[in-house]
Formats: sequence, C-alpha cells, structure tokens
Amino acid sequence: MAARPRVYRAEGVILRRRNLGEADSILTVFSGNEGKFEAIARGVRKARSRMRGHLEPLTRSRVLVAQGRNLDVFTQAETVDAYRRLRENLDASAEALYCLELVDRFTVEREPLPDLYALLVTALDLLEEGNGAAVTRHFELRLLALLGYEPHIDGCVLCGERLPEEETLLSPAAGGLVCRRCRAEAGGGRIVAVPVVKLMRFARRATAAEFVALAAPPEVAQELRAAVADLVRYHLDRDPNARRFVEGVSALERKD
Amino acid sequence: MPEAGAPEPIARLIQEFSKLPGIGPKSAQRLAYHVLRAPEDDARALARALTDVKEHVVLCDTCFNITVRNPCTLCDDEQRDRSLVCVVEQPLDVLVVERTGGFRGLYHVFHGSLNPIDGVGPEQLRIQELLRRVEGGGVVEVIMATNPSLEGEATSMYVQRLLQPLGIRVTRLARGLPSGADIEYMDDLTLSRALEGRQEL
Repeated sequence: MAARPRVYRAEGVILRRRNLGEADSILTVFSGNEGKFEAIARGVRKARSRMRGHLEPLTRSRVLVAQGRNLDVFTQAETVDAYRRLRENLDASAEALYCLELVDRFTVEREPLPDLYALLVTALDLLEEGNGAAVTRHFELRLLALLGYEPHIDGCVLCGERLPEEETLLSPAAGGLVCRRCRAEAGGGRIVAVPVVKLMRFARRATAAEFVALAAPPEVAQELRAAVADLVRYHLDRDPNARRFVEGVSALERKD
Repeated sequence: MPEAGAPEPIARLIQEFSKLPGIGPKSAQRLAYHVLRAPEDDARALARALTDVKEHVVLCDTCFNITVRNPCTLCDDEQRDRSLVCVVEQPLDVLVVERTGGFRGLYHVFHGSLNPIDGVGPEQLRIQELLRRVEGGGVVEVIMATNPSLEGEATSMYVQRLLQPLGIRVTRLARGLPSGADIEYMDDLTLSRALEGRQEL
C-alpha cells in the first residue's frame, strides 16, 4: 500500500467510539477515501474540547488526521452533517445504528470502498428525511452486493434452471434461490414468497429513494426483513447486536 | 511480571496498583514502594478502606445509587419532592446534579446508557425498575439527565416511549453552550439547539 502522507484528510461517518484513559476516545470512522480506520481523539471527553461535538458517532465529518506511532490522531474535525432529525427519532436512530454496525462488521481497515460509503450516506440522508426500515433493507441488499455476497436470484443457483413464479427456497448457504428439485442439496434456507423475490430484484436496479418510494405491504416487508437477516447472519456468522434494539424499539411502538 | 528483583509481595502490590485506571507500570512501582515506606497504620487504613468499600457499599433498592444504607439518604429525605425523578447514567452524576443545589427531587441511576452496537440493551440498565417505580404512583415528571451523546439520547427517547402510555411527563435537560466555550468551535448540533433555546436578556 502506498505510504499515506503524515497528515491526511478524510471525510467519513463516525461508526463508534470507545473510551481510552481519562479523557481520550478511540473512534472508528468509515470514510470514502481511506476506508474504515481508527484514530485517537485526544481530550475529546473534556467539556471544552473543540472537536467533541464533531466526532460523535453517527456524525458525518471532515477530519484531519496525523499519523502516530501506533494509532493515528485526529487534529481537526468539522461536521458535514449531524443528522439531527434522525437522532431525535428513536426508530430512525435504531435503523441508522444497525447500518453503522453492518458497515463496521463487514469491512476491514484501510480498504477504500467509495461505493459503500456513498450507499451509507444515502441511507442516512433518507433516514434523516423521515423514511423507515425500507432504507435499511435496500442498504443491506446493496451492501451484500458491493462486497461480493449478492445472492443469485435469477434462476436456481445450483442447476441454473429457470424458476416458475411461485414461492421458492432462498438458501444463504447455496448463495441464492434454489428450485424444487435441488432443495435437498441446498443446505437449508427459508421459503420466500414471490413478492419478496421481486423486491430483491427491484433493489438491484433501484436507487435507495426509488426502493423506499415503492412502500411494500407490511407483511411482504416483514418477510423480506427476515430473509435478508438470514443472509446477513450467514455471512457474518452472527446477528448484529443492533438488530435486537431495532426490534425492541418497534415492539414498544406496537403496544400503544 | 518482569519485576526482576522485587520480592514477591511487592511485585504483587505493583501488579494490583497497575490495574487501576491511569496507573502505568512506573506509577504502580512508585506507589508500591511508597506504601512500603509509609507507617504501618497508613497501610492498614488503606487496606481497610479498600475492603470496606466493597463490603459496606450497596445499591439503594429505590434509586440504585450507591449507598451505605438502604434506602439511601436521598430517597429517605422527607423534605425532597417525591413527584420528580431525575434519571442519570452514573452514580457520580447524582453528585454533580446535587452540587448545583437546584434540584430537590429524587434520582434514579441507570448504571449506563443504551449502546445497541456494543450489545447494551434496556435489560442491562435499571429501566424496568424505573417503570415499576413510576407505575407505583406519585411520580409526575421524569427528568432525563442522560449524557447528550448518541447513546444518552437514545436512552432518553426509549424511556420516553416506554413511559408515554402512563401519562407521565418526560423531560430532558436543555442543550446549549458550555461556560467558557468558543462559538467558533461549536458543533452544529449544539449551536442549533442553543439557538432554539435562546432566552430573553
């Protein structure tokens, strides 16, 4: 990898923060040009820190970073978007946190992924505008595709046969839809309805805004959510932590 | 531990000190040798203070603040306004709010804030206890004094949604400029809220 300059710029979204010592924090940033990276924000937990508000998780910021011996150090930070309306909405916050966790878990450090960065920023912008879970569905599907985990949904992933328009097995292990005859070899999966497959196909060519505007019926959205969750779980080998929070928050809402 | 030469009890003390926050191996060494040279009474007092803190300090059954008696002196104080409950993240936050002298209600300590990404959910905090406390009656307003961070705000909003069906007033601390700050370096979020919450001079 080409040597980075001693001081470099990045624009990115703060994914997470963990505290270090008395007043410092280590922040994980996902940026367009540098990919994901960690750096120390010195004194950022003091009340008079100049960078504090600009380095909150779920903030899009422009930062200046100096290379350090071990970890790099933030020297300047300026907010591009604090996603204020998003933060003041519990459901949108939960969805956004889930997206941030996905990015953190699916990426490795210092691998520039400008398309994924653009995807994340679009998703956050749409959540900021008041959209809901559909943003996350599009984000998840496109993230999987950008990182090479896109499920094969144009025919049977095992035999290549065309699929009739009926409910079909979606198998994360096989890597896509599986026809009736191949089911035994698919290694498990979930039967999905036709509208779910159609939504997944639509997500491939639709922008996030177009996908959100489609407004799928709740039961289809619910099924798609479970199907995509299967794919994510298979590739991460676990469920993201924030998923429980998203579900807990929406369960509270349904009660009243 | 590569404390070559230090006799075993001293090496052990050094190791214990170096577990403390902000204490590196060098400071731990200095502290250990200081204890060694100090009068025996001082050392015993330190040891007793350490064990007492673990043996006698408990959580108050009502507010979950750390205390030596249960219920704690704050919850027990008849002078305080029982209709107001101020929710804070940490026991230390109670002391800070108390120091302002401007609050005469009761407290409720969550012992953390929601952090969905790190897997800290509502069940790890004293949220259900707050719900039960409020359901018990008498509380008119819950003041959320969580940190103005992503986690703190998420916690406040979650509590607001949880308590909403009970018809309780849920408020949160105002956000604005800290004393001695520079407007030039203020983040947009704080500044825009400060602008909204501006007051007549």
